[in-house]
Amino acid sequence: MSEFEKLKIVTRYELLKQFRRKRFYGALAITLLAVILTIGLYQGLDLPRRIGVPQSIINQHGAEIFAIFVTSMGALAVLAAVFFAGDAIASEFEGKTGYILFPNPVKRITIVVGKYLACFIATAAILIVAYLISATAVLAFYRQVPVGILGSLAITLMLACFMISMAFAFSSVLKGGMGATIATLLTYMVVFSVISMSLSYAGYNPWFMPDRAGDSMTATYGIPFENVFGGMMGGGRMTSGVMQASQDPTLGFLVLLVWAVILFSVSIWMTKRREMV
Amino acid sequence: MGKTMKESIVIDGLSKYYNGFLALDNLSLKVKVNEDVALLGPNGAGKSTTFKILCGLLNPSSGTVYINNIDVVKERERAISNVGAILETPEFYPFFTPKETLSYLGKLRGMQERELSSRIKEVIKLVGLERWINVKIEKFSRGMKQRLALAQALLHDPPILILDEPSLGLDPRGMIEIREILKEARKEKTVFFASHLLTEVTQICKKVAILDHGKLRAYDDIARLKKKYRSFERAYLKLTEGAI
Repeated sequence: MSEFEKLKIVTRYELLKQFRRKRFYGALAITLLAVILTIGLYQGLDLPRRIGVPQSIINQHGAEIFAIFVTSMGALAVLAAVFFAGDAIASEFEGKTGYILFPNPVKRITIVVGKYLACFIATAAILIVAYLISATAVLAFYRQVPVGILGSLAITLMLACFMISMAFAFSSVLKGGMGATIATLLTYMVVFSVISMSLSYAGYNPWFMPDRAGDSMTATYGIPFENVFGGMMGGGRMTSGVMQASQDPTLGFLVLLVWAVILFSVSIWMTKRREMV
Repeated sequence: MGKTMKESIVIDGLSKYYNGFLALDNLSLKVKVNEDVALLGPNGAGKSTTFKILCGLLNPSSGTVYINNIDVVKERERAISNVGAILETPEFYPFFTPKETLSYLGKLRGMQERELSSRIKEVIKLVGLERWINVKIEKFSRGMKQRLALAQALLHDPPILILDEPSLGLDPRGMIEIREILKEARKEKTVFFASHLLTEVTQICKKVAILDHGKLRAYDDIARLKKKYRSFERAYLKLTEGAI
């Protein structure tokens, strides 16, 4: 049997594992709640006017502005990906299930890639459902769906890929799944944020940082981001660096892709070397 | 040490360090085809380390191991396709049923759907888990998991069984049943297993390898050791003197 056949088997059963876990349905429920709340609050509180989006832009780009709000799913992508991926590798060692899985005629790389695909499919399923609801809401309120929503989805999925890669990298070296999950979240939300903010304050454009690359999911609608959200940023004093980083969606996508590939390669290398002591 | 197809397992000059601690010290032994050999020794003697290296879960610090003439370090997947193993106290994915677990493992071992389906029923019956075949493993006791571990080891009908304390966690009935299964299996398979139960060893095997502090103290027929030390228990105690 080829390794590709084995990869299909590993992916299928890893996916079955994900769908049997309560956390999948928990993540799905939280995502749906967040999307529905965002849609309701946007409409109910008339958010664009309250945050100072100029009336001319609201008139011209109402659908796009609404889409930016309801498809800003960076946090959901991050959380869903980490939920599924944090313990993917570490649990085989911590929970001793590796004693059953690893002594089989299948390469470690096949197991890691299969697990990765399963985590990605589970995360993507949740994000796609959220985007479908958002797109339906945009259609219902504005009778159109901006094309940029597809670009936003692509960057959100790539952000999920990057997060799964980082979670896999931690999961391949740390003893426990919980530790890997916390380390991944702290690195993304604290370490990367501090670095990006510091660079922005210092006048450098942190375009290569994954958190800023992820922000570019809001820049796929072809409207000037700074004009829309300038009012939120305290007079725009700090916005220049932030805006520059999230300007180009293609660059954001590529930055996330490079990070994802590097971290995933690290996780494969570490898992291949890791011993079941 | 030379190797021929008459040997299922060849361990040659095997050593393993864990962060400077020598767990296995230049171990060499051969297990012939269809031979049944028990690996005995006190806790920390190096039994589990030996089995883990044989199954490719640990890398040796030095030395080589062969399964059916295939170097485990160089061709791990090909070598262990000949092996059914129980290592340490294995755990299973709690959200799967025994049927799903065996189906997953059988497919990874290249078994075809039809063959796999009937073989799953066969091994599940053999280990006495028929009533539990579609129950999620999260509800299983330690003994039931141990039975399932044996079922997965036998699933693809491998010529070699490597079993680390296969009766661990079983009640007396379970122990007897597992012993009977192993007695049956040894007729056509090579059985290399570890146990702390000397009576179990004498019932299943004719030959033992006794390890202590990572060193091979004896590798001989049980009958010969009995004769030399007046009883098997005495032989074990004498050869593992000084162990904790």
